[in-house]
Amino acid sequence: MTTLERPSETDGTGSAPRPGGIGASVPRKEDDRLLRGDGRFTDDVEPARVLHMAVARCPYPHARIVRVDATAARALEGVKHVLTGPEVRAASEPLTVLRPVPGAPQLPYYALAQDVATHEGQPVASVVATSRHVAEDALELLDIEYEPLPHVVDVLAALEPGAPVLHPSVLDSNLMAANSDGSGDPEARMREAALVVEDQFRISRVTALPMETRAVVAEWRPGARELTVHSSTQVPHLIRKQLAETLRLQESDVRAVASDVGGGFGLKLGVFPEDVLACLHAIALRRPVKWVEDRAEHFRASTHARESVHDYRIAADAEGRILAMTDVYATDIGGWNSPFGSAQLSSVVMNGPYRVEHGYAERRVTLTNKTPVGAYRGYGQPEVNFAYELLMDRLARRLDLDPVELRAMNMVKASDLPWKNPTGAVYDSGDYEKCLRMAAEAIGWDAHRAAGRTPRADGRLMGIGFSSFVERTGYASARFLAKRGSQFGAHESVTLRANRSGGLDLYTGVSTMGQSSETAFAQVISEVFGIDYEAVRVHAGDTGASPLNTGAFASRTMIAAAGALKSAAEQLAEKTLRLAAWRLETDPALLEITGSVVRRRDDETVQVSLAELFTNAITGQGIAPGEEPGLESTAHFEPSDAAYSFGTAAALVSVDPDTGEFTVERFVLVHDAGTVVNQKIVDGQVRGALAQGFGAALTEELRYDPDTGQLVNGSMVDYFVPTAADLPPIELLHTTVPSPVTTFGLRGVGEAGTIPPGAAVANGICDALADFGVELNSLPITAESIWRALCGRATKETPDDDLAPTPGDLPDGGVGY
Amino acid sequence: MTGLPPDVRREELVETTTTVNGELVTVAVPARLHVADFLRQHLGLTGTHVGCEQGACGMCTVMVDGEAVKSCLMFAVQLDGRNVQTVESLAEDDRLSPLQQAFKDEHALQCGFCSPGFLMTATALANQGGCPSREEIREEIAGVLCRCTGYENIVTAIERWFAESPQRAADGDAPELTTPTRPATTGGRR
Repeated sequence: MTTLERPSETDGTGSAPRPGGIGASVPRKEDDRLLRGDGRFTDDVEPARVLHMAVARCPYPHARIVRVDATAARALEGVKHVLTGPEVRAASEPLTVLRPVPGAPQLPYYALAQDVATHEGQPVASVVATSRHVAEDALELLDIEYEPLPHVVDVLAALEPGAPVLHPSVLDSNLMAANSDGSGDPEARMREAALVVEDQFRISRVTALPMETRAVVAEWRPGARELTVHSSTQVPHLIRKQLAETLRLQESDVRAVASDVGGGFGLKLGVFPEDVLACLHAIALRRPVKWVEDRAEHFRASTHARESVHDYRIAADAEGRILAMTDVYATDIGGWNSPFGSAQLSSVVMNGPYRVEHGYAERRVTLTNKTPVGAYRGYGQPEVNFAYELLMDRLARRLDLDPVELRAMNMVKASDLPWKNPTGAVYDSGDYEKCLRMAAEAIGWDAHRAAGRTPRADGRLMGIGFSSFVERTGYASARFLAKRGSQFGAHESVTLRANRSGGLDLYTGVSTMGQSSETAFAQVISEVFGIDYEAVRVHAGDTGASPLNTGAFASRTMIAAAGALKSAAEQLAEKTLRLAAWRLETDPALLEITGSVVRRRDDETVQVSLAELFTNAITGQGIAPGEEPGLESTAHFEPSDAAYSFGTAAALVSVDPDTGEFTVERFVLVHDAGTVVNQKIVDGQVRGALAQGFGAALTEELRYDPDTGQLVNGSMVDYFVPTAADLPPIELLHTTVPSPVTTFGLRGVGEAGTIPPGAAVANGICDALADFGVELNSLPITAESIWRALCGRATKETPDDDLAPTPGDLPDGGVGY
Repeated sequence: MTGLPPDVRREELVETTTTVNGELVTVAVPARLHVADFLRQHLGLTGTHVGCEQGACGMCTVMVDGEAVKSCLMFAVQLDGRNVQTVESLAEDDRLSPLQQAFKDEHALQCGFCSPGFLMTATALANQGGCPSREEIREEIAGVLCRCTGYENIVTAIERWFAESPQRAADGDAPELTTPTRPATTGGRR
């Protein structure tokens, strides 16, 4: 891999970073414990007398539960408790949704299926025993009678008249809700256009697949009325709210703790049925109950993502200027509405980085008899990028235009920003064309275009594909969320507390899941307060010891938290300087906090240590008369709007025109995340997201058998996430345009990499095979899908017939196999 | 050594004697207990993680007699008479080992759930002697999955560790506690 030198340009921070401050690449706070096997993941929490839960799951995609007889299971030695549907209904409320689909009804979703199960893997009964082994033995003894019902797993088939309806008590079809966002008169522009390119794009069902599965440990102390729930979650404060609602408790009765989380990626957002079950068992037994999801359960009962079918159209004039863009899409939500439901950002960024005045996105949220769909890194943005970027290349081919120039001509100009897109998103700032030009130069576009399509010595054809994108990071505002019924805000919060060792304890509800928030938070505090980075200790993810916050998702943690960190540090610094000024008998304006001391700017010998000052404040001894004791601050911050990251990816691919086999030879990503707190962390986030993007683009697809409704590849030996040997060489380039809507000019960085790989690779393949007229429209991109496209359109215009598959090459002797 | 709670269902236990991180352990374990659960639940060595219990993800990789082994695919009773090393054995006193330090310096971990698997795979790789190329490292560690990093920094950290360690860079010198008798069983592409 090559990391190219990044030009530093409109860098808002100017001078060299302070050691440990913003812009410094410091050692991560999280690393030592994780490298020594001393992390504290949920399964590592082992309370005395803990019991273990196992869950019986519906083996059918759609079935009536006729009978559950737990007699034999209850009689097994070591079994302590069994829950069935009616008991759960009596003891709890239906699970709640955090990000509802506007217009959708509340589905009566209990922790155990009531009467009817709507997907394979849905919990039907749960058992608690002295060990997981025994609990699973007991599952074998449950006598459950099912009556299989007609099912539907295809998202378009589910919308057909006559499809089995999943939730007939609240809906008369599987269309859970439809929403349309748009502006202008796109249909009129379509009619006037010189050209309309359109296609139906199928985005495959994938899953986030964090290496740590879900896990929960619930402890109930009835005398204290305290339910402590250790959970592998991205949102401790939100699951506290949800658990209280579902378990009929007060929020004050629940303490949620997420210490180390082994990856989330959107999957661990909110309460799942098993969380409620573990709590119900723990409350009934007055003993701690642990459940750690096994991987087979994870594939069937956590959440999946992305599956959608987009009917996309782009209308253009004869010069290639975009006149209108529309997307009508069905998004699969699976059998139930998970806390975050199916992706909601496809509509928001449906036009990508292009200036579109007339456009709309119409979303049709569709129920199918499959595992529920939840949030996953990108949340709708990779899906639409695949569609509009493939259509941009087709537009270029149809008009015989350079696809780079076509993109550049249509991009929103830096000088036009901020700009509101057709669905109401306000793009804040940036230079989209610059990223495109840098990507084209880095990948060698001009030389490639000049060289023509001569096969390489091994017969492979070379192609270059681009994908330009914007990425919404964070939320527009709490007001925006309220309009959509979301059960959370757009802010972050932090508490800073001085300690007698001269350090600062930082309390946050943001759990640690690999995003390096402990490190980045401490860097901001070091920058603003002036204290050594090492002296800041971050305590994360415990609702009993952190201010109410929102959580770690939507690339929103830093852009919201940075404001809260800055404000809390400034408040604390002001008082610290006042305390020091009194001690040193001088004016606070003459003092500065640096490292472990407060000193006079003009005379460093006049100083007092932070340890001494903090002790004064904590004891109230040695402070000015009338000064309040204590040294602590809490701040909440909501950014003025969402920040839009942006960039362009370029992929160089080689394709064997006989077999469809292909290799991504090089991949360049030029990306802008605004002001960077820690370059190493940002690059790590981008690379990790790219790996997930490549997985979804090339190898990952959850397949359901339409006849049986079964997930056919629900295991790690059948579902292929990239290994270290699978990823192409990746080159990262950055621009740095600070965002005007966030503190320090940050943009979110966690999700961008998931967006462009699919479109860039597909466009590269279509470029290589342009003479064959091959067009792609579905993910994942495989040698087989390319070969099938070649078979369908093996009509190369030049007489190089040896390159095209001949009928003899094809099974069954012909095209259309 | 580990007394079972009094209300545990009685199942057949098998006495097993093994060395774990240099300490001799004699314990009666259920026949169906796999090594990862044994290490975690009976010895409290929770640095070894469980990700799939199918030998596919590599989270649970430990060293048995110097070889990388996916400990979810081995029963605890099979450890009898053998020598186990887990991630907890790497750091000396309060200092990270050179391999751990290389991971830290190169930002080779994010959530850290997979790190013990990579650390033990790399340690076992060193036992084979030689100084693998970057491409060889990629293939060797492909039996451990990471969903956070995109692997680049993990490869760099391991490469740097090999390069900076003179006795490892000199071909054929196998350090650590044990000498391998046959090639490692994990690594390579699925």
